[in-house]
Parts: sequence; C-alpha cells; structure tokens
Amino acid sequence: MATPIHVPRINNNDDEVKLIALEVAVGDHVDEAQVIAQIETDKAVVDVESPAAGYVLAIEGELEEMLVVGRVFVWLGENSDEKIPEPSKMARDQKISGQTGTPTAKARALLRKHGIDVSEVPVSGDRLSVVDVERYLQSQNRLPGADQTDTAVKSREMKPAVTGKAQKLENVERGMLSTVIWHRDVAVPGYIELAYEQSAWKEYAQLFAQKHGLLLDPLLSVMAWRLVEIAMETPRLNATIWDAKRYEYDQVNLGFTVQAGNNLYLVVVQKSDEIDELSFVNKMVDLQRKAAAHQLKPDELENATIGFSSMSRWGVERHVPILPPHTALMIAHTVNIKGEGVLGASYDHRVLNGGDVVKVLKKLSKPKSQVK
Amino acid sequence: MKLDKASIETEIKNKIIEIADGLGCDATGLQSDDIIPATGFIDSAGLLELVAWYESFYDIKIETAEITIDNLGTLSAMADFLQKRKGLA
Repeated sequence: MATPIHVPRINNNDDEVKLIALEVAVGDHVDEAQVIAQIETDKAVVDVESPAAGYVLAIEGELEEMLVVGRVFVWLGENSDEKIPEPSKMARDQKISGQTGTPTAKARALLRKHGIDVSEVPVSGDRLSVVDVERYLQSQNRLPGADQTDTAVKSREMKPAVTGKAQKLENVERGMLSTVIWHRDVAVPGYIELAYEQSAWKEYAQLFAQKHGLLLDPLLSVMAWRLVEIAMETPRLNATIWDAKRYEYDQVNLGFTVQAGNNLYLVVVQKSDEIDELSFVNKMVDLQRKAAAHQLKPDELENATIGFSSMSRWGVERHVPILPPHTALMIAHTVNIKGEGVLGASYDHRVLNGGDVVKVLKKLSKPKSQVK
Repeated sequence: MKLDKASIETEIKNKIIEIADGLGCDATGLQSDDIIPATGFIDSAGLLELVAWYESFYDIKIETAEITIDNLGTLSAMADFLQKRKGLA
C-alpha cells in the first residue's frame, strides 16, 4: 500500500512552507531517514526525511511552490509500479480516520467559484487546500483552460532507466505538450478522410487571386474560410464538451497550423465569422508572416474553436492531426501521390459522429459558389 | 553586407535554395528573372518564410500590400525593391 509523506509543520505560525529542494525523482529508491527534500519558512530551512524505505511513486509539488502544511507531497511504495490512491479512496480513508479538513481561504473561494460542496472533495492534509480542490476538479474534468500539463505528464511517466539530461521546454513546446495531453486525456478522437478532385478548388483560388491581385496562392486560406462558413451553418462542429453538455461557441476562432523553422504554430483568426473572405485571407497572410518571423502575440495563438491543417507542401499522403484543446474538429489537408486532394479530419467523438464529419468533408471538398 | 544587385540576388537565391531543400526541391537552377512562385520550388508558406527572412536580414519593413509579383516576384525584382528601399537606386 502506498505511503503518503505529508508536508511537516515547522512552527505554529506557518500554515504554508516553500519547497526549495527536491533530492529525489519519481522512480527513485529511497532508504528510511534519507533526506528527500528541503522546505523553508521565513525562519528556518528543514530537511524532510523519508519515514520508510521504498520507491518514489509521485511528487505533488514543484520547486519554489508554497505547500500547505499537512498535505501529501510525496507518495512512497514498496514497488515502483504501485498505484497511489484515487481521490475517492482517499476520501473514504479520511472519513474512516475522522479527518474533516477545514478549507483554506483560497480553497473556499475556489469551491464557491465552482459551486462545490466541501464534503465532495478529498482532503490530503490537515486542511483542504487549493491543490485538493484542483485535483478534484481535474478528476471530474471540470478544469478547462488550466494548464494541467505538468500534472498529467508527471502522474503517468516514470523516469527513464537510461541516464540523460533534462532540457527545459520552450513555450511553444510546452504549448504542444499541453495540446497532445488534452487530446490524449480528454478528447475521444476519431479520424476520417476522403479523396477529392482538386480542380474546382484550384480554379477558385486562381480566380480569387486574380480578382484581388494576390501574389500568394490563397488556396488553403479560402478552403479554411469555407470551413468557417460550414461551422457557422452547423454550430455543433464549433463546440466542445463541458459539464456533460455540448458547449457551442458564440464565435468561430479558426486555428491554422504554420510550420516556421523548427516551431509548429497554431495561429488563430479570432472571430473569423465576423469578417469577409478577403479580410480572412489577408489576416491569414499577416499571421503567417508573423509566425515566420516568430513575432506572434499570445492572442494570436490561443482559443481556437476549430482547426485546419495542411501538409501538402511536404507531400505526405496522410497526417492525423492532434485536436487543439476544447475543439471538436481539425481538418487535415494534403495531396496524395496520384495528385488527388485528400481531406481528413480528427474529431472528438464525444461531440461529433462519423456521419457529421463525412458531411463536413464532402461540403469542404468543393467551393460553395463562384468567386465573389 | 554587400548591397550591389548581384550580391543581393545571390543571397536571396541561397535562401530560396535552403527553403526549397527543406521541401525536397532543388532550386539551384533558379534564374534572375524566373517568377519564383511559378517555378514551383517553394510554395506560399515558403515564400512567406522568404519574405520574413528578407525583412530581417536586410532590416526593412514590408507591408502586406507590397507583397506583389511586381515587387517580389523574381530575384531581380527583389534586388531592385531592396535597393530602392535603401535609397541606392
């Protein structure tokens, strides 16, 4: 059975302490009385020793983080693959042992914000902390927008057996990590594709470029615009699942993948549904230029509600895109070796079924009308 | 940095070769007056990457409306545009 190590109280005046050093990592074996961490208050620095020998199963705290006294911050096990208790089991155990856990002020505010009764949330220490509430919200899939990346990764991954050097991820890489973890942990992804005859779209793009005097081929931009139109006609495509309901967005924020050097960006045209086709195409050019210069602003990279990606420039036959967080549909465009266009779609099966997606792909396989 | 027309064209051509190489194309045969998008060596995204590099390398700012065939469609045009922007022509 996994053994919790609680954050010790150093003095009566401090309900929180700072974690200033971690001497172990998940997967390490520790001996009884081995120093595993150092914590600090305004007055003292104290070593935290392991109460028993065992393997580190989980670490629930980060360097420089303020930890609530009494909460669990390390789990030990007799074996390295032992499971740590689920929140519900912790709650039962705590009821049996008579612990109640008065919420801290911040935890109380968070409970109020989400309309949660204190009795619902398992307590990991002397008092119910923000970490407890966040963990509970996460277990209930009720924490959208929060960066769950670290928790999600650390809770599943063991330290590799082969020695190596840990490299800190850059912001773009952290964003990608967050995206793929949402896709893995929250969405229920499916993938469908169909081939289509390219000539109608090529002709449309050529006429559009001529009419508006464009140097750059607008093919992908006008196809992405068509997706915006389809999303406006069918709100369930521009949606996610929230609180066991389909959450249809009030605006269409079209995310579009742009590879710039080693970075893959998902640039976002906010409120695409409020601009016309030419403005959309020009906005796409602006965003792609900024991406190429690595000068995108945060609001140009966030809150996509639907996505479009193309790998035709690399000549790949198929790519299955990762769904951006809180989206239900990501179109994947390419051209196969026969010269046919290929439209694929990753979709969240919680929101859409295969029939919905086939209809989208068929609509998207040709322009809606003549160039306006 | 040399700003005579031949040197500018050589620099730009080297960048195009680099971008095209990433796409599996060999652009070493690109000529001064070839229409760059029409050669098929690089696509629109590659062209945007080229424009971003052009602005940064030569320290100039180009408005989206200036991204036209006349201004940037060939190596020769790109060199002429730069020399005008730098007050050299």
